[in-house]
Amino acid sequence: MLETIKELCAISGISGRENSVRDYIIKKIEGYAEYSIDPLGNLIVFKKGKNPAKNKVMLDAHMDEVGMIITAITSDGFLRFAKVGGIDSRVMLGRTVKVGEKGVSGVIGIKPVHLVEKGQEADIPKPDELYIDIGAKSKEEAAEYVRLGDAAWFDSDFVEFGDGFIKAKALDDRAGCAILIELIRSELEYDTWFSFSVQEEIGTRGAMASAFTIAPDYAIVVETTTAADISGVKDEKRVCICGDGGAVSFMDRSTIYNRELFDKAFEVAKEQDILCQPKTLVAGGNDAGAIHKSRGGVKTLTVSVPCRYLHSPGCVIKYSDAAQSLKLIGAMAEEFAKW
Amino acid sequence: MNKYNEVSALLERLCSAKGVSGAENRAAEVAAELLEKYMPVKIDPLGSVTGTMGEGNIHILLDAHLDQIGLVVTAVDEDGFLKVAKCGGADIRVLAAAEVTVHGKEDIFGVITSTPPHLSKPEDSSKAKDFDEIAVDIGMKREDALKIVSPGDRITFNGSFSRLLGNRAASPSIDDRAGVAAILRCLEFLKNKKLNCKLSVLFSVQEETGGSGAQTGAFSACADEAIAVDVSFAAAPGISSEKYASLGGGTMIGYAPSLDYEMSRCLSEIAEKENIPNQPEVMGGKTGTNCDEIQVSGKGVKTALLSIPLRNMHTAVEVCDLEDIENTARLMAEYILERSAANA
Repeated sequence: MLETIKELCAISGISGRENSVRDYIIKKIEGYAEYSIDPLGNLIVFKKGKNPAKNKVMLDAHMDEVGMIITAITSDGFLRFAKVGGIDSRVMLGRTVKVGEKGVSGVIGIKPVHLVEKGQEADIPKPDELYIDIGAKSKEEAAEYVRLGDAAWFDSDFVEFGDGFIKAKALDDRAGCAILIELIRSELEYDTWFSFSVQEEIGTRGAMASAFTIAPDYAIVVETTTAADISGVKDEKRVCICGDGGAVSFMDRSTIYNRELFDKAFEVAKEQDILCQPKTLVAGGNDAGAIHKSRGGVKTLTVSVPCRYLHSPGCVIKYSDAAQSLKLIGAMAEEFAKW
Repeated sequence: MNKYNEVSALLERLCSAKGVSGAENRAAEVAAELLEKYMPVKIDPLGSVTGTMGEGNIHILLDAHLDQIGLVVTAVDEDGFLKVAKCGGADIRVLAAAEVTVHGKEDIFGVITSTPPHLSKPEDSSKAKDFDEIAVDIGMKREDALKIVSPGDRITFNGSFSRLLGNRAASPSIDDRAGVAAILRCLEFLKNKKLNCKLSVLFSVQEETGGSGAQTGAFSACADEAIAVDVSFAAAPGISSEKYASLGGGTMIGYAPSLDYEMSRCLSEIAEKENIPNQPEVMGGKTGTNCDEIQVSGKGVKTALLSIPLRNMHTAVEVCDLEDIENTARLMAEYILERSAANA
């Protein structure tokens, strides 16, 4: 699974431009399951199990990553952009990016601190002041390489470091995609549905359609979530902790989760000796927000791989958490299928 | 392929060797190896790379600084995160989630901590966190971290050397490896020329922390004239093109009360005569470069400043135009040839 995560993170796919990610996933699951692509671009997969399921279970992970979309080229050849998804400007300044179909290299520039007025050294430029410099000398030169509406994404490699940690861009939610791929490629006890969804980062657009189409009884959203287990942050403010297994949500900004499902996850984890932890802060949101309100309502569970520095070019997870989450999600899918 | 390939390869090699102020050894090794092709090389007591060649009635010193800005480890916290301070003028606005290399007993990867938007208030994103609120995450427990990392270890910002459109390049530490590259290219232009002057080179340490390397290196060289090569501000969005240089617009010839006016004039005249793209850079007092130390070293040294336009100074994405480096090198070479001929 590590190799799959690595390959998935290397692919660019901001919201609305998930094609390359989808192509990769199809290549990985070809022959293991039936699939179709819906009008929004969601990849919907049906995997036959050893037994028919009593309840229809859907597993969801989103394919898109946060990034940028080019909105203008200035007269002197710089690119203006809008953020796609929630990105803090502080993680964008002074970063390298790739732009457009040709993958041109660029940097997000910043006024040298030497030229900043005294007392303003910590002030972050406003989002509409940000720009990408691809080295073009004029609007015309830039236009040879970039069109308005082109995607731009963080240029960030995959690094293994420390005690089993991984750094990459787009771990949110390629880690989830990798877990789903792993399940599809394994032998499953029950028939199971999967949605590799588009456009989560701009408001869970894809999952609204895929949940309607699949019409599940139960859903498991497989995500990454904010781990704040960093220097200077204590106790419940850490939200979840790298190394303590998948984080199970009871409530976030988009969903109040079914309590029975939440409790069952911890019960099953205990029985099967799987590491998991509660997410200890009501924050963030994910495809569950769309899925649990689909049709007449869907009982939904979210299991997330704890991820530090989410929505930055340098997302960090601990691989063991992805492995533990895989086990828990597999076990919960079985539980729900026969519940 | 293109006439800037040599300077591109040279700059890439110089930028890939790390050397934060006071710990320039690796950058010094590479610079010494490159300088040795042209003259005998020594490392002085503070760690600067120096070399001298030729004899004559005039002695010219060329200086560029070796060090780059970075961070320094101050402590390892209870969870294994590294607390850090700046070493040189690091910009706190580019720290969040930045990737770094910690130069401990071995080089290890790290990420500077940051808080995702999900857990912060929208207004938080308008202010950068200062050093007391951040740390470097190396993914290790304290006891494991302590085996590799100690207070005082330097940290550099990661970022590879990448070519942009045209002849432009982005990398950490172009400040001032571009200056080192310009001097090496100048020596290459002079390689088969007969010089009637004594020529010294100083690749100085600790410019970013106050210029100790230039002060001591210039004293030891005891030259009649010096040219320091550094980087300076290029226009970009929010940075006026009336006040600042044009990237790719040529070498910046410094004019300032502390610089020798005749040398500045002479450089401008030669540039015009030889059709070398150039632009003046006028400052009202001192220059904020090694010139300030070199000028007052020993009995005093006539000093000039050539600057290479740079965007995003003191970040991991400093951007320069290779043409500007090459033009700086050419102008320096022409100046040396002219002074050498005049003093024959």
